Amino acid sequence: MKTFLKRAGGALAVLAAVLVLNFFLFRIMPGDPLTAIVDPRFSPEAKAALASQWGLDRPISEQFLVYVREMLSFRFGLSMMTGAPVWDELKNRVPNTVALLLPSLVFSTLLGLWLGIKAALRRGSLVERIVLLGGAVSFSFPSFFVQLLLLMCFSYAFPLFPLRGTSSVPPPEGFAAALDYVWHLALPVFSLTILGFGGFALYIRNMMVKALGEDYVTMARARGLAPRRVVWNHAFRSILPPVLTIVLMSLPGIVGGAVITETVFSMNGVGRFLLEATNSHDYPAASAAFFLLALLTVICNLIADICYVIVDPRVRREAAHE
Amino acid sequence: MSKPRGGFSAAVLSLLALLAIFGPNVFGLKDGEMAPPYSKPSWMDKSIVSAETLTVKSDASRGDVSYSENIRWNYAPPKRVSFTGRLDFGRIEWVTPNRAFVLSDKPGEIDLDARDIPFKRAMGADPFDDMASVLFPVSGDYSLRVVGQGEISMRAEGGRWGLLGTDHRGRDTATLFVRGIRVSLMVGIAATFIAAVLGMSLGLISGYAGGIVDSLIMRIVDVLMSIPTLPILMVLSSVWGKGLWNLIAVLSIFSWMGTARTVRAITLSLRDAPWVEGLRALGAKRNYIVFRHLLPETLPLLLANIALGVPGAILAEAGISFLGLSDPRLPSWGRMLHEAHAYGAFTTGAWWTILPPGLGIAVICLVFMDIGRKLEERADPRLAAAARPDAESVKEALE
Repeated sequence: MKTFLKRAGGALAVLAAVLVLNFFLFRIMPGDPLTAIVDPRFSPEAKAALASQWGLDRPISEQFLVYVREMLSFRFGLSMMTGAPVWDELKNRVPNTVALLLPSLVFSTLLGLWLGIKAALRRGSLVERIVLLGGAVSFSFPSFFVQLLLLMCFSYAFPLFPLRGTSSVPPPEGFAAALDYVWHLALPVFSLTILGFGGFALYIRNMMVKALGEDYVTMARARGLAPRRVVWNHAFRSILPPVLTIVLMSLPGIVGGAVITETVFSMNGVGRFLLEATNSHDYPAASAAFFLLALLTVICNLIADICYVIVDPRVRREAAHE
Repeated sequence: MSKPRGGFSAAVLSLLALLAIFGPNVFGLKDGEMAPPYSKPSWMDKSIVSAETLTVKSDASRGDVSYSENIRWNYAPPKRVSFTGRLDFGRIEWVTPNRAFVLSDKPGEIDLDARDIPFKRAMGADPFDDMASVLFPVSGDYSLRVVGQGEISMRAEGGRWGLLGTDHRGRDTATLFVRGIRVSLMVGIAATFIAAVLGMSLGLISGYAGGIVDSLIMRIVDVLMSIPTLPILMVLSSVWGKGLWNLIAVLSIFSWMGTARTVRAITLSLRDAPWVEGLRALGAKRNYIVFRHLLPETLPLLLANIALGVPGAILAEAGISFLGLSDPRLPSWGRMLHEAHAYGAFTTGAWWTILPPGLGIAVICLVFMDIGRKLEERADPRLAAAARPDAESVKEALE
């Protein structure tokens, strides 16, 4: 319980840092918010009236508290471009981003696990070479470049997949709509999977090689256990916690990368919303999108922490003691 | 295979650096020169021309009535044709194998472009016709003729240009590519260097001071490490503006954490080492120990850390530029890819605007990782492995 509370505290700290950053970033701009939105020819009285209407005449600490309350209850204010509530616009986009990131994360982790363990078991094989190549690609190739190449090959040269968007125009109905959605997501998810698996696979391979050389694995082998059991129940279980740590540490990058993926494939997600808001200097919308992406990271982190408690017997036992 | 590899990477890096510094001058590349958009590289398709010019000038002393220059045309029609010059009296003709066009018979300055609708109408063509193919219908001998007194030059631009073709605005891709090296190298090295100095100072403080300072710095590291970097870079670039130095500053503020952790780990392991204890017993001051003994110990590894951190900064810069959030006046590889994506390089099949910048980024990243790995091995393999668990995997990836 103590460990979990500590992790939850960490998550809260991240959230607080994001809120503080978000609040002050938009206030260190030259000029005050009023001059940014209001016509300079307004009379001072009209400006003062607007300032009090928006609460800008109150002390900054009070403004901050109000801001935190509003953000945490998902009231992000009105977009400066459309005048509509930001959340109305954003809530349709959150599922798209989750539908992009979750399968990619799951696929790249599973593929990384599978190939990493295979590579560790068969040193010098083709699988190992694929793992090394995948690692080099994920460490040095810009994601958007790989995605552009994929788009060029599979959407333009051989039009197997759609060039852009999250659904066909006009959108099909019923079951066909779901199929259409999956078809549109296929290439982005595939691209994130091949970009992401290499790092995991390399890491898992290295740890697995180390684990397979440990005494307890030799012991398990000597006991005549089936090789499969030795690998999965003994060696693999011991590397599971550090693997989870790696997944955890890669989460901010993956969530941040959604911006690029959604831009390349012109998907309606939170990331591209952030880009559009940034480009049009729509500060309420940009800060809301940034907040949501950070929140997504924090939530994923918490889920990974819970998994950590499940897979690491030391933590679990400690938790049981409390 | 490990020995010659480091030398190879260093050679590639110096070549890129030399290109970045002297490239534009050596090749005599000019920014102002424009060609038709999405022209192919000049070595690609020999059936189209890159650019041809033809000039005719009347010579009053010769007293002739007609002056002409011939050109043999064996290519597909050019993309753009333009005529510039001056007519004193008489007329100017363009003679194709089939017929002759009178370009102008009114005295005065001449500035004609085959895309202008009045010009098309004057030549008796439909406004929607491709005038270049009307003026160059077949292969054969063409001539530009001045009957009277005047001077005229014709410029025909085909779909081929330069070493790597042109982009959507008709700029030379090779020039942009060479100019892009500068941005990548500068951002990568400057941002990582600043981040390394920052990370080293905080790491040293954190590791040596311990206690509440240490835990405070490490909490900050934890928090910063779990905030998605790219969105915050985007927001900052929107608030602070799109300048190169802004980008470098922001990148370094958000990438010092790894170095700080590494240096802290080393400092922690050294702080209680017998020789440091000995120094303390001799009455050495804290600053002396930190700056004269601990700092030099961490320095070699720090150098490796910088090299290994450069790819991250280059990729981040490229990502920001790809999203269109960089200075539009500054050609960079990320920006080239942004423009290729935004202005339909796919639908024209213009791979030459996509492959060179993308591969350039990948090569520069691989080179820095290889050099970083070499530096790390030289520094101290034991420490490296202890401080950076993923160093191993990067190393193996490159072997």
